[in-house]
This record gives sequence, C-alpha cells and structure tokens, in this order.
Amino acid sequence: MLKNSANVFKEISKNREKSMNSFMKRRDFIKKSLTAAATTAALGGFASRASASGHLKIGVMIPLSGPAGLFGPASKNVSEMAAAEINAAGGILGRQVEIVLGDAGLSPSEVAQTALKLWRGEGCEAFIGMHDSAVRGALINVFKAQVPYVYCPNYEGGECADGVYYVGETPAQSVVPSIEWLAAEKKVKKFYLIGNDYNWPRDTNAIAKETIAKLGGEVVGEEYMPFTVDNFDSSLAKMKETGAELVIITLVGGASVSFNRAFASFGLSENVLRFGTLIDENTLMGIGAENSKNIYSAAGYFANVQTDAAKAFAQGYASKFGSDAAVLNALSQSCYDGLIALDTIAERAGALDTKAMDKAAEGMEYDGPRGHGTMKNRHLAMDIYLANAVGAEFKIVQSFKNQEPGNFCKA
Amino acid sequence: MEAFATFLLNFVYVSAILALVALGLAMVFGLLGVMNMAHGEFVMLGAYSAYVVQTAQISFFWAIPLAIFVSAIFGFLIEWSVIRHLYNRAFDTLLATWGLAILIRKGVEVVFTRDYKSVNQVVPGTVELFGVNYPAYRLILISIIICIFVVLLLWYQRSKVGLRVRAMVQNPGLAAAIGIDIAILSRVTFVIGVSTAGLAGALLAPLVRVEPYIGLDYLLSSFFILVVGGLGSIEGLLIGSTIIGGTDAVISTIFDKTAGYMSVLIISILFLWLRPDGIFYRR
Amino acid sequence: MAFSIVVKLSLLSLLIAFPFVTNSYSAYQLGLYLLYGIVGQGIALCWGKGGFLPLGQALFFGIGAYISGLMLQNDVGWGLVIVTLSLSIVIPFLLAGVVGVLVFNRQIGSGPYFSLITLALALVGFQLANSQVWLTGGFNGLTGINGLPNIDSFGSLYFVIVGALVLTTIILSKIMGSPFGLLLEAVRENEERLQFLGNNTSWIKAAAFAISGGIAGLAGAFFAPHQGIVTPQVLGFILSAELVIWTAVGGRFGLLGPVIGVVLIGFLASGLRDAFVYWEVIVAFVFILVVLRLPGGIGAIGVHLSRKIGLNFHSYGEISERSRSVPEVDKIITRELKFEEVTITRGSVVILDKLSFKIEGLGIQCLIGPNGAGKTSALNALTGKLEVDSGEISWCGGSLNNVRPFQTLSLGIGRKFQVPSIFPNLTIRQNIDLSLWVNRLKRNQLLSMVPYTWKSDLLEKLEEVFPFISDKSLIAGSLSVGERQMLDFTMTVLSEPSLVLLDEPCAGLSKAETETMIKAIADLSKSSKSMFIIVEHDMQVVELLSDNVLVMHQGKLIAQGSLAEIRSNKDVQRVYAGGTK
Repeated sequence: MLKNSANVFKEISKNREKSMNSFMKRRDFIKKSLTAAATTAALGGFASRASASGHLKIGVMIPLSGPAGLFGPASKNVSEMAAAEINAAGGILGRQVEIVLGDAGLSPSEVAQTALKLWRGEGCEAFIGMHDSAVRGALINVFKAQVPYVYCPNYEGGECADGVYYVGETPAQSVVPSIEWLAAEKKVKKFYLIGNDYNWPRDTNAIAKETIAKLGGEVVGEEYMPFTVDNFDSSLAKMKETGAELVIITLVGGASVSFNRAFASFGLSENVLRFGTLIDENTLMGIGAENSKNIYSAAGYFANVQTDAAKAFAQGYASKFGSDAAVLNALSQSCYDGLIALDTIAERAGALDTKAMDKAAEGMEYDGPRGHGTMKNRHLAMDIYLANAVGAEFKIVQSFKNQEPGNFCKA
Repeated sequence: MEAFATFLLNFVYVSAILALVALGLAMVFGLLGVMNMAHGEFVMLGAYSAYVVQTAQISFFWAIPLAIFVSAIFGFLIEWSVIRHLYNRAFDTLLATWGLAILIRKGVEVVFTRDYKSVNQVVPGTVELFGVNYPAYRLILISIIICIFVVLLLWYQRSKVGLRVRAMVQNPGLAAAIGIDIAILSRVTFVIGVSTAGLAGALLAPLVRVEPYIGLDYLLSSFFILVVGGLGSIEGLLIGSTIIGGTDAVISTIFDKTAGYMSVLIISILFLWLRPDGIFYRR
Repeated sequence: MAFSIVVKLSLLSLLIAFPFVTNSYSAYQLGLYLLYGIVGQGIALCWGKGGFLPLGQALFFGIGAYISGLMLQNDVGWGLVIVTLSLSIVIPFLLAGVVGVLVFNRQIGSGPYFSLITLALALVGFQLANSQVWLTGGFNGLTGINGLPNIDSFGSLYFVIVGALVLTTIILSKIMGSPFGLLLEAVRENEERLQFLGNNTSWIKAAAFAISGGIAGLAGAFFAPHQGIVTPQVLGFILSAELVIWTAVGGRFGLLGPVIGVVLIGFLASGLRDAFVYWEVIVAFVFILVVLRLPGGIGAIGVHLSRKIGLNFHSYGEISERSRSVPEVDKIITRELKFEEVTITRGSVVILDKLSFKIEGLGIQCLIGPNGAGKTSALNALTGKLEVDSGEISWCGGSLNNVRPFQTLSLGIGRKFQVPSIFPNLTIRQNIDLSLWVNRLKRNQLLSMVPYTWKSDLLEKLEEVFPFISDKSLIAGSLSVGERQMLDFTMTVLSEPSLVLLDEPCAGLSKAETETMIKAIADLSKSSKSMFIIVEHDMQVVELLSDNVLVMHQGKLIAQGSLAEIRSNKDVQRVYAGGTK
C-alpha cells in the first residue's frame, strides 16, 4: 500500500516537473490516476508539514459581497473545480486539498480579519486571492511571507513581495500587444484614455501611453473619474470634439457599463473603437448587445477561447455546474490558475514553505485553460487573447503568444 | 457652436433626470421628514421592472405601470411595517431604511442574481437637434419629465389632496384637528414618493446599467439636490437639480469630472452651511 | 455610580482575559472592533448626549490613521510615536472643532443639515485620499506601515488598544458627568432655553464635536499599526454610516453601548458571512428591530435591567450636597432701557412701527396691549431673537441691535417665555443647576465637579415659595403646567439678572398658583436689585404688580405711566373699546 502510494507520488512529481504539454494530457492523466487517488490520504507522511488530519486547507479569498461580489459565484465554482481536479490527481504534496472560502469583497481591514481567522484559526496553509489591490496590500501585511499566497486576477503590476505569486495579466502583457495590433490593423492614431480615479487605471495608462508614443500615436485626452460618477456626458463630448479614434477604457464594473451604454447611445460606437482589459463577459452583458459594437477586450482568458484546453475547461465547468451556472470570465477563471500554480510551485519546492517556494517559482511551468504559463520574477508569462464584441459575446480575433509580464523584482 | 449645443442639451438632460430621481425623496424627506436611505433601491426596483417587461417580450410601455405597482407595494409594506412607527424620528428612519435597503438589494439578488442586466433602447439612434446628433430617447425622456412636473405642480397646488398634504406639513396638529387623517395621508405620501422613484427607474433603465447595487448612486445625488433646493417645494427641487446638474456639467467640461464631482460636494456643503433652507425658501 | 464601576471593571477584566481564553486572531479581530468602538463613543457623546448626529465620523478616524501611517512608514522610536499620536488626535480635533464652530454658529437646532455636511465632508475626504496618490498611496493604500516599537501588532497591540479604550472611557465619562456634559444634554433637550440661560450653544456643540473628532483620530492612530495598511475606505461614507449604526444598535446614550454594538455586530457579521451567503439580511433585521423595539439600543436593556433589580445610575447632581455659596454676579448699577424708533417688518407685515420708549430704575414695568400689538416681538427684538430693521435698542448705554440670544444674560437680561420652557428629560435639580451656573460658571470650571455643590440664598428663598423644586431626582417633564411655569420662573431669576423679562408668567396657572406666583414676583422685586418687564393680559395681575405700565398697539407705544394714568388715557380706552381684551 505504502509502496504503491509512493510510486504515485513520484509519478505526480515527475509529471509536474516536466510540465505537461497540453491540458488535455493532464486530464487523461487525471483519469488514470483516479484509482490511485483513494490511497493518497496515506501520503500525509511525505508532506513536509504533516497536519493531523492530513488534509491541506487552502484559503480562497474571493468577493462574496460588495460590488465585486458579482464574480463570487463563478470564482467559487472554479475554485471547487480546481480543487477537485488536484485531489483527483493526488492532491498537493500528496495531501488532499480542502478549500475554505473567505469573503474578500469587503474593506481591506475586514478581509484581513477573515484571512487571519482562516490562517490561524482554521489552519489554512496556503491562500489564493481574487480581489482588488487594496485587499492584497492588507493580506500581504497579514501573511508577512509566512504562508504562500497566490494573487490571481489582472492587476497593475509593480510588485514582488516574498511569498506572493502573481498569475494575473499585467498591462505589459495585455495592453501593449493589443494597442500595437489595433494601431496596425485598424489604423488608429488618436487615443483617448478614460478610467476610474485610482492606481490600476493610472498605472495601466502609463504603460499604454509609452506604447502609443512608440507607435507615433497621439493621446488626445486622458481622464479619471471618481467611483461614484455615473454620468459621462462631458467626457463623451470631449471624445467627439477631439476626434478620438480609439478609447482605452480602464473604468471598472458598473462605471464601465454606464459609460459604454452612453457611448453607444450618442452613436459614437459606429466609428470609434473601444478597448479595455477589464471588459469581461459580465460587463459586456450589462453593456448590452446593441451597444457593444467595436468593443475590444484583452485578457488571458475568455469564456469563448477556442483552444482545446479552454474548450475542455468550459465543458468541464458546464457539466459540473450546469449550463446556467455563473458566467466564466478572466477574473473568476484566474482562481483556477491560482490553485494550479500553487500546486505546481509547491510540488517543485517539495514543501509549502515560502522560502523554498520563492526559489521554486522561478521558471515554474504549467499548462492550463489559458495555455502555457511560465513563471518569471513571480509573475506569469502567458498567452493573451484579444477579443471583439459581437452582440453580447466575445469573439477572439487575435492571440499573442507567451507575453512577458515585466520584471518588478529588484535584483 | 456644436459643442455648446451639446453642452446645453446635456445640461438640460442631466437636470431633468436628477429632478425626476430626487422627486420621490423630496416628498418623503421634505414632506414627511423620513431620511429614506432605501430611496435608491426603489429606483433599482423600477429599473428591474423594465427588465422584467423586456424578458416577457411585451412592450416597454408596460414597464411604467409595473414599476409603479411594484414600488407602491413595497412602499406600502415598508410604511406599514416600519416607517409609520418612526415619523418625527428622522435619525431612526435613517437607520431603519438603511436596513431595509439591504433587504431589498438582497431580495433582488436572490431573484435576478448579481449579473448586470441590459434593458434595450426603446427608441434607438440619434436625432439632429441644433446641429447636434443627440440620443432620441434622451429627448423623449426630457419631454416626459417636463410633463410629469407640470402635472405634479398643478396637482399639488390645486387638488384637495395637495392642499391636505400642505396643511399636514405646515401644522400636523391643526391638520389632524380639522379632520385630516394624518396616518393615512402620510402613508399615501410615502407610497406616492417611492412610486415616483420606481417610475424614474423604469424610465432610466434603457440608458443606465441595471444591477442590485445601483441605488446608492441615486440616493446621494438626490440628497444633495434637496439640500440645495430646499425641502418641501417642487420649484426648489427643480432649481436644486439645475444647480447641481449645471455645476457638474460646467466644471466637468472646463476641468475634469473629479473637479465636477468635488464642486458638487462643495456647493452642497456651502448650501447646507449658509442656506440650510435651500435657495428657494419661502415659508 | 458604584454599580456602574463594578460593571466597567468586570468588562475590563473580560477584555484583558480575552486573548488568553480564546486565541490571538480573535483578539486581533476584537482589537479592530474596539477601535471602532472608541469612535462610537465619540458619536455617543455628540448624538446621545448632544442630540446632533455626526454622519461622517470616519473622516477623523481616517485622518488619524493616515497621519499615523505616514509616520510609521519610517522606523521611529517611542518619542516620535508620542508625537504621532498627539498629531493624530490634535489635527482631527481642530478640524472637527473648526467645522463645528462654522456650522453651528450659522444654525441653531440639531436637524439633518449638520449630519449631511459631515457626510459630504467624508465623501470629499475619500475622494482626496483616493486621488492624491503621492501622499496616501491612492486606492491601493498606504503600505509598509511598521508596528509600534516593540509591540507585536498581532499580539500585544491588543492590550495597548484596551488601554486606549479605558482611557477614552474614563475621559468621556468624566466629560459627560461634568457641567460641560450637563450643558451638552441641555442642548439636546432645549437649545433655545439654554441660549437664554446665557450659553453659546454653538461652542458647546462644537467642543463636543471636536472631542469626538480627536477621539476618532486616536482610534485611527492605532488602526494604522494594527492593520499595516491604510486605504481610503477608512474615511469613507460606508464606514461612517456603519459606525453610526453600530452605535445605535449598541446604545448611544452611554459609553459602553457603542463598544458593545460594534463588537456584537462585528462578530455576528464575521461569523456569519463565510458560512451564510445572505448574512447581511440577518444584520439588516437586527438594525430594524433595534430601531423599532429598542430605540435606546442594547445598552438600554442593561440600564433597564439594573433599574429593575434596584440599582440606579445617579447623576452627579443627585449626589452632591449644596455646600458652597455661588460666586457673586457682577451687578449693573444703572438700569436704563431705551427703544428709539425701532422698526421691524417681515414681508408686508409691520411688526414694530417706530417703537420708542425709555424706562429706568427698579420696579415692575407691565407691558400691555391687545393681541398682535407687538409686545412679545419687542422682547424678541430686545433679546436678539428678531433682527431690527431700523432704530436703536439700548440697554445701559450699549446697543442691543446686534445682540445674540446667548449674549443677553451676560448683559444682565434674563427672559422667561410665555410657554414654560424647561429641559424636560433632565431632573429638576439639573434644571436648577443649569440656571445657577449662568454668568457664574467660568471656563476652567466646565470639567470641575464644584459647581454641582453651589447654593444660593435666592434659591433657598424660592424653595420656600415653590417647595417642589427642591426635589433632586424628579424628571422635570413630569411636572404640571403650573409647576413648569414656576420652575421656568425660578430658572430665569436664579441668575439674578438686572433686567427680568417675563412673558405672561401666570398663563395656565390655577387661581391658587397665580397667587403664589404674584407673591413670588412681588417679593423678588422688592428684595432684588432688578428691573422687571412683565407682558401681561390679566389686568388683575397688572394691578397687583405694576409700578409703571406701557401700552402698545399695532407696533407702537401709545401710553406710558402709572396704572391710574393709563386707565384715564383716551387712546388706551379707544384701543380696548374695540372689544379685544
């Protein structure tokens, strides 16, 4: 029995090391090892930090309330799916995984309380998080690199905290190639930047402006809106006046929906292109099919990506949670990648120890629904898709292979 | 010239919708002294009514009676179960309606989920006016709002109910003494107030986003309008919306939206401080 | 008092024991709630005691947190930490004070306007914190904040916070029990009356608001090292509203209520939200139930229960013996009141029409005239309640044209309104104390307990005439109308003003009560060095009391002289022949 388990464990590690070529292979492998999975409880002895029960609890910090609570149900589903697959493949470091949800949709101080409770109280030994940067700052301060923490969603880049692994898209990955492509294909020269007034839009636009300058384009307007604003008339008038050809949107959530609806109602959508890196499937649904003309969006994942791995993932999701389950998008799907990345790094490090994991993370590779990812400087180099809205759906128009996230780690 | 015409139309539009949204709060807060933190939630209920009508694939026209009906029912239940115990306790109404707002939001979330809903344009496309292509539905909306206010103004000044409401506001004791049933009249005022919020939601639905959390946006702007315009008069409400909408439009056009938003806040603070009875004070 | 100390000490020992009987993360969580509770105590001071609701209290909390966060980003020693803490208290204190003075000076009353201003200020604060990235780090927050030197943010900081809570509780209960606290309660009860007791109520309210701001800042100062990050949410609208709600649920009339409210709702929410998706529904029901069934909050149950088992919370007034004589009031030597062509119009209505008269010396002047003659308006003009359009009112040579109500008492003018105006939810003893303090309570005595022990000869004399006013614990609101008139009269004369204005002192009194009152006024007029002006309809009263009579009609003076002279005056006869009394 033990011997058998040990072999399975070796096989898992070997496979992880190699990193599989396609996601489908991984799934086949999962099927093969399903029978072995039953025995993995005994593998507790192999883990560096054996807990009494042998189960490995992972804190999954996702928004369950507040404005981002919209993404909660899908994030929860996706996390459960990832956990089930990891368990079927033998767990992490041979230990069965159990996810414990924490609400990350509240203010940073509240979320920090929850995370601390999950860590010190519930005994979670690793965390993944899908929430805004303010909450991330609070959690980094709580964890202080004593427990591994994978930050999943799209963010502005610029960080390299110990014990934190970033698997989301940075502007360097998504914004730069998309603007280059749009400028070349659609012959746009005049850019208008509009976003909410906080760090992510400003940092994203800083990179966008560099790219625009490099391409010889012109920024004809740059505006930042307070969160409470839902009337964009003065901005729309300015866009019309300046003759903007591409509007780069870094408005978030509801503001993006309101803006895009008003944009189309003025008839601007006919000739002016719109592009954003946070216009997801939900936002598009709110914008509405009749208002979505000429919207482009870039992300590491869309529900409509037609690669084998992505299709398999979407089918798996639909069969597990039903066809009317919460819509998938890059944000919620990132929880899946977060858990897989955690699994892969931990296996490489051989322990859930942040020092070892920080080393193991460099060069870590895995295949997932998004394609092939490689970790460099704690961030993930990955494929990026550029999609065009057709009605209330996204159609992928271009993919950019293996985009570099940028290096934010000081030497 | 074109820019100026756009500016003017935007200014009229934003003032009109602000007045429409704030109308219900003006009745409930201005006449009854109830600080209704759930005001925005009634706008939200109205917007969802429009979504329901769209899903049922019947004419958008039906959204209006449905919105009024739904918000009237909710308004009645809330008044009957909570608000009627709290008249003359303004701060307590604030707390209770804060709780009620949460309940309404969560209720809508259960039925419709958190997803954004899109209500289709009733009259899509733009119309040329003063040399500007302006969204047709916005122009229709402006006309509807003007009609609503004209009717309301006449009704409030001429009708018996309007007279009774005014009597109740000015001297509740005396009004009760001459046989006006304050309890019923307050309930009617509350229900009508929240129904206009629901109506506003239905009319705005094709233009705005629809999700359970939109209420707060409408609540805050409504409060600021009342503050500037003063409580208890329809004229004040219109002037308040014009000042708030105008300030925002002018400052946002000259500087940026953050400056516009800040100037609205500062103007509100100045009014609260220097003219707490609003610009249109005549008591 | 003793019982409440026992309660507080046992709660304190619970707090100290908490980390040992539970675990470190629960204590960490409790630490945050206690910080919010401290802010709630400040809200209780303003709202529960002062009757005005600050709706943007997170602004001050947030400012404290940002100041402390910015300082603690550097490695600082205890010396600088003390400086930081002081700044975190002083800056919000001053800001709240300035806002309070500016706002309250413009408007009397405790309506929603002040609350909405504070709310708007919190929105401004949030927007600034969000967009001034260079200073605050923007939305992502101020990060890299160190803990306090040698104090583990996840461990021993908890005890520091408990210490801060003990400190604020002691300071605030001292403030609430002091003369300042009683003045603040009087603002809530009857702000106008308090002004006519010579108090600048806007300063009292502003001071309370400043204290609440400083306390919020102190809590914020500990928030920064506790959380290690400060984001704009800490000074936003949502936290502000939540703080008020927690305070309301816990109980806004005491200092323990707000803390209990925060801790209960906090643990309820954090326990529910990860287990139950619709946790907010339960929290919402709690709010609504508290508002409907428990307007005093959970704290009120505690007070109620302890009353039931016979334990009473006494005010300082009830336990202090009157043992020291009141300080002497400066007396004005010359008493001369002059109206010169005073005109007041409002819209098309002429209220006073070139009213001119002059009265001087001691004795009782009766001001009579038919309804609408402008008698009460003349008193209003004289005491700053009505703005004078033209003409001049002078008292002892100084102009009263721009006087504000609260200033009249320092000029030696005391006023009693027609409808008895007292502080209904305060005890008779507290009502009396408030009037004894007029012109006598010095600024440096605002927090001293000595003024509660003051006695005065006049008070003893009045207690003989109106025996009921010597009761210590009876709530003034339970008095009959006649008794209220007498209490109001007592309060007006206790400050020994040089000019006493009485507006129909016998209105609503029974025959026997009227006699008592007339006797009291007559005795007082003889023994005191005051001039009395009495507005009166009842000619019997005028007959018994007046040394001199002034007759007004349609905003003008038509006659002045002894009662006999007035009776024979043709103009007066014509006015009264019209049938009006």
